[in-house]
Amino acid sequence: MIKQDLMILEEKSIFILREAKAKFENIAALWSMGKDSTTMLALARKAFLGKVPFPVIHIDNSIDFPETYKFRQDIAKKWKLDLIVADSEIKPDLVGAACCGKNKPETLKKVMDQYGFDALIVSIRRDEHGVRAKERYFSPRDRNFKWDYKDQPAELWGEYSSKMDTKGHLRVHPLLDWNEVDIWNYIKKEKVPVNPLYFSNNGYRYRSLGCTHCTIPLKSSAKTVDDIIKELEETKEEERSGRSMDKEREYVMQKLRSLGYM
Amino acid sequence: MEVKKISLLGHKDHGKSTLIGSMLMQTGAATKVRIEEAKRYSKKKGKDFEPAFILDSLVEEREQEMTYDTTRAQMKYKNHAFEFIDVPGHEELIKNMISGASYGDVALLMVSALPDEGIKDQTKRHVFLAKMLGIENLIVAVNKMDMVGYDKKRFTMIKENLSEFLKRINFNLDKVEFIPISAYKGENLTKKSNKIKWYAGKCLADVLCNETKEEPKDNKLRVLVQGMLEDKKNMYITGKIISGKLGVKDEIKAFPSGAVYEVDQIIVKNKKAKTAKSGENIAIKVEGKINEAKGSLMFPKSEKVIPVKEAKSLIFFVRKPGKDITANLYGNKVKCMIKIDKLVETASGREVKRGIAKPLEAAHSTIRLENPMIIEKYDKNRELGRFTLSDENGFFGIGIREG
Repeated sequence: MIKQDLMILEEKSIFILREAKAKFENIAALWSMGKDSTTMLALARKAFLGKVPFPVIHIDNSIDFPETYKFRQDIAKKWKLDLIVADSEIKPDLVGAACCGKNKPETLKKVMDQYGFDALIVSIRRDEHGVRAKERYFSPRDRNFKWDYKDQPAELWGEYSSKMDTKGHLRVHPLLDWNEVDIWNYIKKEKVPVNPLYFSNNGYRYRSLGCTHCTIPLKSSAKTVDDIIKELEETKEEERSGRSMDKEREYVMQKLRSLGYM
Repeated sequence: MEVKKISLLGHKDHGKSTLIGSMLMQTGAATKVRIEEAKRYSKKKGKDFEPAFILDSLVEEREQEMTYDTTRAQMKYKNHAFEFIDVPGHEELIKNMISGASYGDVALLMVSALPDEGIKDQTKRHVFLAKMLGIENLIVAVNKMDMVGYDKKRFTMIKENLSEFLKRINFNLDKVEFIPISAYKGENLTKKSNKIKWYAGKCLADVLCNETKEEPKDNKLRVLVQGMLEDKKNMYITGKIISGKLGVKDEIKAFPSGAVYEVDQIIVKNKKAKTAKSGENIAIKVEGKINEAKGSLMFPKSEKVIPVKEAKSLIFFVRKPGKDITANLYGNKVKCMIKIDKLVETASGREVKRGIAKPLEAAHSTIRLENPMIIEKYDKNRELGRFTLSDENGFFGIGIREG
């Protein structure tokens, strides 16, 4: 995995965050308390004089890990976040990808409607998945959250989509250029707080964090940020290999994303 | 480490995605899961292993065996890092091609060596566009050499024919490398092929190592304003330094407000700084009342920067423009009219006399803006010398200021 120049990545992300904040009336960010969206908040604090100037949304299906809830509480307080917890009800008949594809987007739809958000910052990265690699930095979604991946807007030279149909919204992707190892290098450099579940406990750690139902820890002895960086330099495994929904079928990610999954 | 961004160019089916797939395999950058998955899918389609499936991830892309939208893939080679930008080769997807290629530092053009494929209009049009997008360095990979028996004559013919076109659109031929390869068989990619003994040059990856981004360096200060920020005590102007350097106590002027400021404080990523340089995103605290809008420009007070209402520009039309035309200049949308002076056929680089602009063609034009704007010459300052064009139906073209 390639370690990129953190300065270049940081400048680009700050530019996108400021651009989005200036452009949209009512913007919010998704915060899963994972390493990526927490890094995004650290970048926002750099872009906006130490404050996160938009609400952060946690889609809470009540089955996240206890460590995750504790982390949410600590960081929200420390960084004075305007936190919106959106309760998502787990339906017992839906499992795996069906659960991710329905429960979370539907709850998010309700929150977006309720607050009238016109843009949403989502901390996805291109190297996570082939389908995420097709994304634009600014990407329109219609009112049903549909992603029209077959006809994406042109994006170059300061031209990007700011149009959406009524009740649709813009997804903003400030971390699109970052690799997994860049996130960890940044966490190290900037001392960004991270969820303890990422570190090895009894020989296992979580590399990608979802809810308790669908996330499986991987064999790892990485106990520190440095250990994780070293591990990532050598690995040939995919980051989301511990996320069961990604494995069910080919194209499941494409389907999930086109339906509004984050 | 520095990652070199290499934009693929070329006609559909000349092997852009296949090349990237093979490079990912040979450099060890493709994950096990990805390779296994591409193998399974190749088998399902009754094909031998197709490296392009490592890259093309959408259902539609695989079923129709074409790239719909741009994507990127990184790999390490020796002590270099490459990021390949894949783009669709189909004419109707040129909007996606432009979006992808605009991020390239260098361009890699794929030309099929097959007699019935060879140099197509779209091959040349992509090169024409790359030049407009600011890419000065080009590598030409003559692909599918395995299917023409690694024939030197085919290679030389393509090289000669294409060189003529490249010269016409002002590429420095001394700097354009031609390499015979087989993307599918993996020949001459990361090591010299022993099937192409007549070729004396380096393998593709080694050639890429020597390529660098070429860009005009403008030292004059330009700050693009993004908005205003406020803390408990003060107001700040936020923005990005496009070119030049800014220091505390500098006197700067803003356009269009005309306001003059003395820089009281510069903040770079939450820390006070004495100076800031090109590429940095900053917040500036100034004395007095401030109100600068997003899209404003700031420059040294001592420099006379003249906004213009008209500019000679080269324009590329993705499609025929409608009635309500808007130019987007570094984030500012300004109504404008386009007067065509001379048409340019993008597939030949020749000027033609025909009257109206056609899709996928270009024109030396005069754009007339409703409000005066600062536009630099593209060969002096890239970011402030280019614009995108849209009408009532959205994006339809790009332009660069020539004179």
